[in-house]
Amino acid sequence: MSTQQLTFQEIVHRLLGFWMDYGCVVQQPYDLEVGAGTMHPETFLRVLGPQPYKVAYVQPSRRPTDGRYGENPNRLYKHSQLQVILKPAPDDIQDVYLESLKAIGIPLELHDLRFEEDNWESPTLGAWGIGWQVLLDGLEITQFTYFQQAGGQDLMPISGEITYGLERIATFVTAKNSVYDLRWSPEISYGDVRQREEREFSKYSFEVADKRMLFELFGLYEKECLRCLEADCVLPAYDYCLRCSHTFNLLDSRGAISVTERVGLIGRVRNLAVRVASSYVNNHEE
Amino acid sequence: MKNRFLFELGLEEIPADMIKPAAEQLRAAVGALLQDNALERESLEVFGAPRRLAFLIEGIADRQADREELILGPPKSVAFDAHGVAAPPALGFARKMGVPADQLKLVPTDRGEYVGVRRLLEGKRTTDILKEGLPRIIASISWPKNMYWQESRFRFVRPIRWLVALWNDEVIPVEFEGLTAGSTTRGHRFLGNSDVQLSSAQDYVARLREQFVLVDVDERAAKIKRELEQELPAGCRMVDDPDLLEQVAYLNEYPSVLLGGFNPEFLKIPQEILITVMRHHQKYFAVVGGDEALKPHFLTVLNTSGDPVGQIRLGHEKVLRARLEDAAFFWATDQKSRLEDRRPMLDSVLFQEKLGSYGAKTERVRQICGSLSKDESLERAALLSKCDLVTDMVREFPELQGVMGGLYARGEGEPESVWKAIYEHYKPVSLEDSSPGTENGALLSIADKIDTVVGCFGIGIIPSGSSDPFALRRQAQGIVKVLFDRRLDGLTLATLIDAAAANHKPTRPVEDVRRDVLDFLQARVRFVLQEQGIAVDALNAVMAVGVDSVHKTYRKAAALAEIRHEADFEALAIAFKRIKNILAKQEIGVDRVTESDLEHSSEKELFAVFAKLRPQVLEELQADDYGSALRRIATLRNPVDRFFDGVMVLTEDSRLRNNRLRLLFEISQLFLMIADISEIQESGDRGNREEAGA
Repeated sequence: MSTQQLTFQEIVHRLLGFWMDYGCVVQQPYDLEVGAGTMHPETFLRVLGPQPYKVAYVQPSRRPTDGRYGENPNRLYKHSQLQVILKPAPDDIQDVYLESLKAIGIPLELHDLRFEEDNWESPTLGAWGIGWQVLLDGLEITQFTYFQQAGGQDLMPISGEITYGLERIATFVTAKNSVYDLRWSPEISYGDVRQREEREFSKYSFEVADKRMLFELFGLYEKECLRCLEADCVLPAYDYCLRCSHTFNLLDSRGAISVTERVGLIGRVRNLAVRVASSYVNNHEE
Repeated sequence: MKNRFLFELGLEEIPADMIKPAAEQLRAAVGALLQDNALERESLEVFGAPRRLAFLIEGIADRQADREELILGPPKSVAFDAHGVAAPPALGFARKMGVPADQLKLVPTDRGEYVGVRRLLEGKRTTDILKEGLPRIIASISWPKNMYWQESRFRFVRPIRWLVALWNDEVIPVEFEGLTAGSTTRGHRFLGNSDVQLSSAQDYVARLREQFVLVDVDERAAKIKRELEQELPAGCRMVDDPDLLEQVAYLNEYPSVLLGGFNPEFLKIPQEILITVMRHHQKYFAVVGGDEALKPHFLTVLNTSGDPVGQIRLGHEKVLRARLEDAAFFWATDQKSRLEDRRPMLDSVLFQEKLGSYGAKTERVRQICGSLSKDESLERAALLSKCDLVTDMVREFPELQGVMGGLYARGEGEPESVWKAIYEHYKPVSLEDSSPGTENGALLSIADKIDTVVGCFGIGIIPSGSSDPFALRRQAQGIVKVLFDRRLDGLTLATLIDAAAANHKPTRPVEDVRRDVLDFLQARVRFVLQEQGIAVDALNAVMAVGVDSVHKTYRKAAALAEIRHEADFEALAIAFKRIKNILAKQEIGVDRVTESDLEHSSEKELFAVFAKLRPQVLEELQADDYGSALRRIATLRNPVDRFFDGVMVLTEDSRLRNNRLRLLFEISQLFLMIADISEIQESGDRGNREEAGA
């Protein structure tokens, strides 16, 4: 099968298969709204502490401000990240990554690929790393990061994080002009599966979401997170931290946050993330 | 001396802008290692590419030269007995040195003769020196940002993956961070082999070239330039961008140039936007025709040898299309609201916590503009100047701030005196950048910047060392540069500071703020004028009497610099120092010179000459003719000299003393209208001015 006829699900399947063969735990998406695959506990918590781990999963990632009512061919309220964590990062991690591109039929010798400096940082998670964006013929298809800190904790061993933008890669290899023209399966298009969702969630997050309720929820989630931490329920606490983060994103897209408030709210989410990370590490060590 | 040594440090992709500084550090460190060990070489070449730093030494000896060393023992007086026979101290020394006593020599020193031994020190092997020195050199390279990647907790810019060290054709097993150097390097990721054997140091550049890695940045840059020329469509030229050129030369191991195109429909978007989209996001060079108008083409530099099946071009064109569609979307939707209607939104965009929103800043800048000019269009420009901060385009491309506001204002039918002022009010963004081309643009630029500087100083945000979060130095330099470039003589620094301070409620005493800002701006004046080639002492002399207008300061200093080494003037400068010193210690009891109290012919002469010269000098100053004024002042030299020869200023008679002091005071006041010439250093007498002033 020529790569141009690949379906979206086949690309996902091949990439996951590649990493399964490599020895990763293949995980499921996290069942809460998150902005990026990094927020899945299988990344955020697993990179903490000394235990080696290898995991791959797809994470639907919601970015309310990127919503375009299903009309922009490249930008989505919710896109899919395929996230791989290799802990510790093996010496040949870049080569293994390039092999994975061949697995979805990209003949690298016919393309222009390079690693350009791009250091990932998430102020809300108190996390950052050093790495690159991977550009394929000028298109950013992957974020490649050596994690240095998460939840304010210095990390050792260092995890390698590979985050594929699945819609971008799929439109690239199938030479489509719009993400909605992708074939999800041979019969069904990406648009068939997702366009209505894009439309409605864009409308919700830009026009409909109840700001007062969201502010209230933010406070309630924050309180519950701290209560969970008191009770040594670190994983449930992290769930509430994620809920705060998504609520913040919705408030942001709704235009409800002034610049000053913004800094304050980010600080509050970060405070939760830092406390979760520190409890997670301490509970492990006991 | 025919040996070669090659060392290569193999890394994962180094950020492009960090390679050159690292290569320079490497060159300096290797040069120092060789020098410290007295090793000569014919050449030292350093290479920096995305995945490697390397150096090649040619014509280096295989060992240090042997050296003879002289070791001193006891003095002759105790070393030998009265018969000249070696005594126990000499025997003990000889034993310690492992030589027979008869090989001891007498060596003359400052303190008399001593017993000594000459010993041959064998030179170390060059490879040993390198093997020992290289790990330290690698670790000493400093990077703007480092990372951990392995348990050793060694930090470096990116993970180190391999080492090569070849002494001619022999591997030198340099060890570093768990790696041992060999003879295996790596070729281009896709076009070359992952393992490339080098048979000798000499092979390095050519062998890697075969493997599609050009290790020499000059070779990469030359290839890029050549191909950019080749790929340009006929009658077109590239929009010059030396920074981008250097960036892409360090971004690719085997650069090659590709011409791509975009739909000419996009040319409806202003070309400032198109160029920014291409450069900012994609690192593409824009192409213009003979008429300077943008063409629907771009040039991109690939990290590969070419585009064998045309897919790369299609890929890049598609990415650019998506970017341009975004830009076109922003351009269209932004214009659905008028700039003026966006102004209330600025109230919720924070400028600085204590200085309030951009809405508040806009109002302050408008006030300043009102005090600088009666032109209503300037206030209008000020009012709209920050509205583009809440457009989608500027959110996506922050470097288009100002430019977008100008373009949107033009589209809304604002006159040129308004839209151009907005368009260029961030200029100059650096010392190299030009100042705004219009009067209103210049005034708006100054008003915006002085508000920021005075506001920040008022709440204690004052640059110190490397900490300057609001880039206040650059802002202040911008103010000074605009004042200079546009010869805004009517605008003094003090006026500007007062205009800005009127709108702020500082948390420190306002007088302190004014003084600190003035000092800060004056330091920038000094810097900007020095960049114009003005001699430091002339500048000091002029600035010592205060900076009113920047360009006037420049003209005074330039005039002073021109005549300061003429004999009359230098002598006068010395006399002026004397006058200053006398006046500094004395109270003057009168407020004018009484002619009838002039006693000696020399003071009568000085008074007469000065009385005649004074109005002429004032006239010349009025006419801005500082050269003539200074030349005229220089004619005072002889009368002043005769005055000091003829009278004693500090005489007992207070009537005479006060009269003389008053005369000197009036003369010094005239001088000080231009400069404090006691700052002038005599020719050939630099660094010796304390003495000259005594």
